[in-house]
Amino acid sequence: MREKFEMDMENLKRNVEKMANLVLSMLDDSVKSLKNLDTKLADEVISRKGKLAEMDESIEENALRMVALYQPMAKDLRTIAAVLKMITYLYRIGRYGKDIAGITKALEGKQHIAKLVEIPYMANKVGEMIRDVINAFIIEDISQLNDFRERDDELDSLRYSIFRECLTYMMEDPRNITQCSHYIMVAKYLERCGDHACKIAEKIYYMVTGKRIEIK
Amino acid sequence: MSEFAIETEDLNVYYGKNHVIKNMNLKIPKNTVFAIMGPSGCGKSTLLRSFNRLLDLNKIARVQGSVKLFGEEIYSNNTDSIVIRKDVGMVFQYPNPFPHLTIYDNIAIGLKMNKLVKDKNEMDSRIEWSLKKAGLWDEVKDRLEDYPSNLSGGQKQRLVIARAIAMKPKVILMDEPTANIDPVGSKKIEDLIFELKKDYTVVLVTHTPAQAARVSDYVAFIYMGELVETGKTGIIFTSPKSKTTEKYLMGELV
Repeated sequence: MREKFEMDMENLKRNVEKMANLVLSMLDDSVKSLKNLDTKLADEVISRKGKLAEMDESIEENALRMVALYQPMAKDLRTIAAVLKMITYLYRIGRYGKDIAGITKALEGKQHIAKLVEIPYMANKVGEMIRDVINAFIIEDISQLNDFRERDDELDSLRYSIFRECLTYMMEDPRNITQCSHYIMVAKYLERCGDHACKIAEKIYYMVTGKRIEIK
Repeated sequence: MSEFAIETEDLNVYYGKNHVIKNMNLKIPKNTVFAIMGPSGCGKSTLLRSFNRLLDLNKIARVQGSVKLFGEEIYSNNTDSIVIRKDVGMVFQYPNPFPHLTIYDNIAIGLKMNKLVKDKNEMDSRIEWSLKKAGLWDEVKDRLEDYPSNLSGGQKQRLVIARAIAMKPKVILMDEPTANIDPVGSKKIEDLIFELKKDYTVVLVTHTPAQAARVSDYVAFIYMGELVETGKTGIIFTSPKSKTTEKYLMGELV
């Protein structure tokens, strides 16, 4: 019985990892598409949203089935609860990837106002946070989540710096307003993705230790 | 009066040389369902039997330390174990109604022996009251002169609970009361336990953590005669402090 449960649990965790990889690919590729104004890549990202929804649903169903079949307790229960929350956060991050890809499409035929440096840098930081959080989940090691508060602060600063830079472009020439608004939105999306990564980190902390922390 | 129904202090129980309960310090709040869980042979039933001095009947059992019932020490020389057992009812794993007595007499006997009712009318109403409390009245009201052998396992167990309630105890001890009862009967008994805590303190021994989770307010986890952890059920079952409890709940402890 325990063996069967453990096999199911292993599968559940692997599927969360797969979903996280899909989400990361959506986020990375969407920012790449924006950087290179590559609408073909943006279309590809958008097309992954069906798979994302499918994984969200199937993992939820599997988790609920495990609750019904095994009535898990203690850490088993905390793990399944963490999975149920994580997939929602991951789903939202994936959807932000899709939204960024939508912005790439909105900018079709245009050129960037300045070289896009900070947005890819910020996306990179967010990607690292998501990778670390998923790794912590798989190996059940919370030590790599210790600096999440600082990393989240850095994302906030980056968003603000992008906002300030865009303001100067907009004041310089009002024709930049539409495009700069898009950049500000992307920075906001990336910051939200970081927040989701922090929420996942909180859930994993609870899953592993049974204690709650707040990262903000 | 103490806010606890039962308190143990440095309680130790030995069967001969076998140290079965080790330095147990437990507080059971009033009007709650308190579950004692742990793997087979960990001392749960022995602990329960120490709460109404049932171990007195076991020649090789030796009890050290203190057990207080509503603040009163039950292991002092001037305590009458018969009086204690009137306050502390007990229900066992195997439903054990008296086979030679009718349903009515099964409940009446304790009341008669202890002269707790003065006439037939009072007896009738007390029997109806306890059968109703035990959720059995509707099923047996037309066959009170029938014998318990004609009842199902779950009905027998509820009859035994009615017999215990009839004495108007303060505490009801239950030793795996649903271990030998089908799921439907078990569910009825679990519902009944939940009802009983309004008037009584119920101490329930169970080896199914799921049952403890469903019915209890507090739970104590016992392992190899020692108290590993005790606390509110909701907390113990989601985030226990002890690694041993965690392992037991996850089925990794054998």
